Order: sequence, then C-alpha cells, then structure tokens
Amino acid sequence: MTTGQHTDTLDMMLNMGPQHPATHGVFRMVLALDGEEVVDVIPHIGYLHRGSEKLCEGESYGQVITLFDRMDYVSNINNELAFVRAAERLMDIEVPERASYVRVILAELNRIASHLLFLGTYAIDLGAITPIMYAFRDRERIQALFEATTGARMMHNYLRIGGLKEDTPADFDVRVSELLDQLRAGVDEIDRLLSLNEVFLARTKGVGIIAGPTALACGLSGPSLRGSGVAYDVRKDHPYEVYPYLAFNVPVGSTGDCWDRYYCRLLECRESISMVAQCLEQMEAGPIRAAGRRIARPPRGEVYVHSENPRGDIGVFLVSDGTDKPYRVKVRPPSFCNLVGLKLMMEGAYVGDAVSILGSLDIVLGEVDR
Amino acid sequence: MSEQEPQAGADKTPAERPARHGPPVAEAPQVLDARGQASAKLLAQAAGAHALASGGGHDTPWVRVASEHLVDVAKRLRDGAFGAQMLHLIAAVDYEERIEVNYLFLSATKGHTGQVKVDVSPDAPELPSLTGLWTAAGWFERETHDLFGVVFEGNPDLSPLLLYEGFEGHPGLRSYPFNDYQEW
Repeated sequence: MTTGQHTDTLDMMLNMGPQHPATHGVFRMVLALDGEEVVDVIPHIGYLHRGSEKLCEGESYGQVITLFDRMDYVSNINNELAFVRAAERLMDIEVPERASYVRVILAELNRIASHLLFLGTYAIDLGAITPIMYAFRDRERIQALFEATTGARMMHNYLRIGGLKEDTPADFDVRVSELLDQLRAGVDEIDRLLSLNEVFLARTKGVGIIAGPTALACGLSGPSLRGSGVAYDVRKDHPYEVYPYLAFNVPVGSTGDCWDRYYCRLLECRESISMVAQCLEQMEAGPIRAAGRRIARPPRGEVYVHSENPRGDIGVFLVSDGTDKPYRVKVRPPSFCNLVGLKLMMEGAYVGDAVSILGSLDIVLGEVDR
Repeated sequence: MSEQEPQAGADKTPAERPARHGPPVAEAPQVLDARGQASAKLLAQAAGAHALASGGGHDTPWVRVASEHLVDVAKRLRDGAFGAQMLHLIAAVDYEERIEVNYLFLSATKGHTGQVKVDVSPDAPELPSLTGLWTAAGWFERETHDLFGVVFEGNPDLSPLLLYEGFEGHPGLRSYPFNDYQEW
C-alpha cells in the first residue's frame, strides 16, 4: 500500500424512510455518506400533504378549527388557539377572562403531553425502551382530563371564536391539581432515568450542533432554537391571552446540541406545570364566551398572529373578504421550519447519529406537510 | 385536469360577478399599537423611497414595494436597525388579477414584526429569491412555487416540495378546481 496516494471513492447514497419507525411519520431523507460520515442530506416531504390550507377556503370559520386540530395532531389545543386568535383579532373580539385562563391551562397541559411524547419516543430512538412507559402513563392522564373537559382525547374542537365550546366540568380544578402532582413526580422520574444517563449523554452531547444565529436564519423556533441559547419565546416576547399575568422562566441551552434541545423540553414541562398551578389560583368564575353572532363574518382585511406551540412559533396569516369563509389561510408550521436546519446539523455527523439528530427536532409530519 | 370545465365565473373578474347576498361587508380597521408604530417607523426607514403604500394593524405594519426592490429592502431590514434575524413566513394570496406575495420578518431580540408585500402578475409570476439572505427562504419559496407557480429567480432548487413530481397545475390558485383530484 502506497502512502500519500489519494483514492477517489464515490459517496454512498442511503435512503431512509418514508416508512421508518425513527422518522415519526412519513418522512424520507436521502443521506450521502463518505464512510461513516454524512456529507449531505436531502429531505423529502409532502407524503401527508392534504391541502389543509386550501380546504380552509371552503369551510366556514367555525369549521376551520377542526382542520387546525389535524395539523399538529399532538398539540391540538395550541393549534386551535393559533387560529381562533387570528379570527378574534380580525373581528376585534375581547375574550372573557375565564375563557382565557381555561385556554392557557389546556394549552400548557397539551404542551406537557406533547413533550412527554417527545421524551418517550426520543429515548426509544436512542435504544432505551423503558422511559416511554412512564411518559405515556402520564400523558394518558392528561388525555383523560381532556376527554372529561372537551369530550375527545385528541381532536378536541373545544375552542371557539370568542371563547370556549362550554364551561369546564364541576370537578375541573380538583382534577387538574391532582394531575399536576402526578406530573411533577412523573417528569422528575424521567429526568432521573434519562438526563444524566451515560449512554444517553454519549448519544446526544456534542451531536448535531447548530449555533444561535444560524438557527435563526434557518427559521428554527421553540425548544429547537432555545437549545442554541436564543431566549426567544412568543409567550414572553409577544405576550397573549393571560401569559402576562404568569411568572415563568424560559429555559435556554448553551451549545445547541441534541442534549440541550432535549433538556429544554424537559425543563419546559416544569415551567408549564407551574403556569397551570398559577392559573388555577388566579382563575375565577365568569362567562366563557364573548357575545356576538353565531356565524363569524370577519370584516374585510388581513391579519398575522403568532403564538408558541410545543414545537415552536406557529403563525397564522388570515385574509378575509367579508364572507363566512376565509379567503386565504396560511400557516407558518414550526416543524416545517425546524426541518430546514436538519441539513446543517447533520453535515459532518456520523450516520449512527442521524436518528438522534432528527429525533431531537421533534417533528410532526401532519404539520410539516399540511 | 385539462378536460375539466372551468369553475363558474372563473372567466370574470371579481367586479363583474353577481353581487353577494348577505349583510354589507365591513373593512377591518387598520390601527397600529405602540409596538407596531415603532416597527412601522423602522420598516419605512428600510423601504425608503421604494415604498409604494403602507399600512397595518396591531403589531404588524406592512409596506408595498416593487419586485425589483425586494432584495434591497430585505437586506436593509436584516442589517439595519430593524434587525430581522428571521424570515418568518412567505404567504402568497391569489387575488386573480394579481398574486400578492407577503414576506413576514421578525426580530427575535428587538421584538419587531414587519410585512413586505410584493405584487406579481399571474401571467408571468417572477420574483427574486431571498435564499442568499435567509436559509429559511428556500423551502418557503419552493412551497410557493408548488402551490402558486411563482418562479423565484436565484433559488437553486425549485423542485416540488409538497406535491409529487409530475403534478399538473398549481392548487393554491383560486382558479384550481376545488373538489377535483388527480389519479396517481
């Protein structure tokens, strides 16, 4: 063997997905490999494209809420909230305070449920099968509360333009505070199981690093951005609903690796628990729906409203032509934008870390493809 | 697709169509709050003499510019006092006689939100690409190309993103048959 002689080798193209358990849905990426190293990645999306935004143009404002349920299908309340806030702003509706509190309680519980799904499935991606049992035990408790409140485990259709469908059940406060105790213990349990586990650290620390400014230029938001040390949270920076009345911290990471993104989500669960507890203390009885017409007919105009989803900054661009159906609905899907950063995170990583990096973005394909 | 009858009234402009039944249409008021006014000042500064019109409501001011000035204005928004680190969204709206492309910019550290509107003709929809300024522009432009047929000059990859290879037509447009589907 002669030394110093360069041998040209062809990159190996490795296809992953669309039917692959670690892609969390129908996502496909083609990896170009030089030995063990990823030199390029081409993501392919659109397998779940249902034309949700186009469908919105054919439904009345009330019916559009159900379509938003089905975009990010593990954080339904947050998605509903994004749309009803856009319609309310266009129609200049003031939501009663109790309705606003209930919305925030449900949205934050929904955030915990969504993050628990991430904590469990991310551990599976990395080969630890146990944590999802604990995560789903607690997630199921949240779903049970949702079922008692909204009538559905997942596709709630509970928020209305101007308030809520109906008031919460009589034992709502008691059930929520019981649930919070269980969640506190549950999150601690997962923290102890996973966060400082040596194998877990080896798979996530220093893997898939993205710097803050790069992440912003890619359009990353939510825990995926905050893991890189940018403290941008819509709840803090553009407060809405009753968030200005709540005291909470925005957890940020330092290096922008997979572990930072993971740990931001875990810490956010604790912040959400504290927020729900504060809401329960502050909430009073009162009306849950603003007075108004049953059929929403917003004035002609357009509005852009964004809010904090578990996955990041969801925006709704709504154009009304004065009829009972929206003229145009455009969503800024946080998962879609977070995926843009995938290429930069994966270049130079080992092929064995591809699943770890993809998992740390916590994408939901229903929202990526709409 | 090509054998499909066009939708009723698709050949008429909105003004020629029969009047709609129902209550008279009101216009949404355009009032900026304190934060919106601060953003509007910086947005106007970045647009300078290129601004054709401006307005906005709540915290999001907008400014309309011609397509040839888009990159200039966007660059000034990013590097100037506005500090638009994020290209938040590209949203195309089909008004039939024109396609309006809305660019939403956001400053994560300064909290400004701003919107730049650019009109393109539906016969030859062409815009300069912003991929050189924000990586995020790439996929937004590909999606807009898929659904509205807007061609972004300078985007290195405009292959279908949400639609499949070989899909005919642009389903975002108002003229696209609503309940039609293609066999694949």
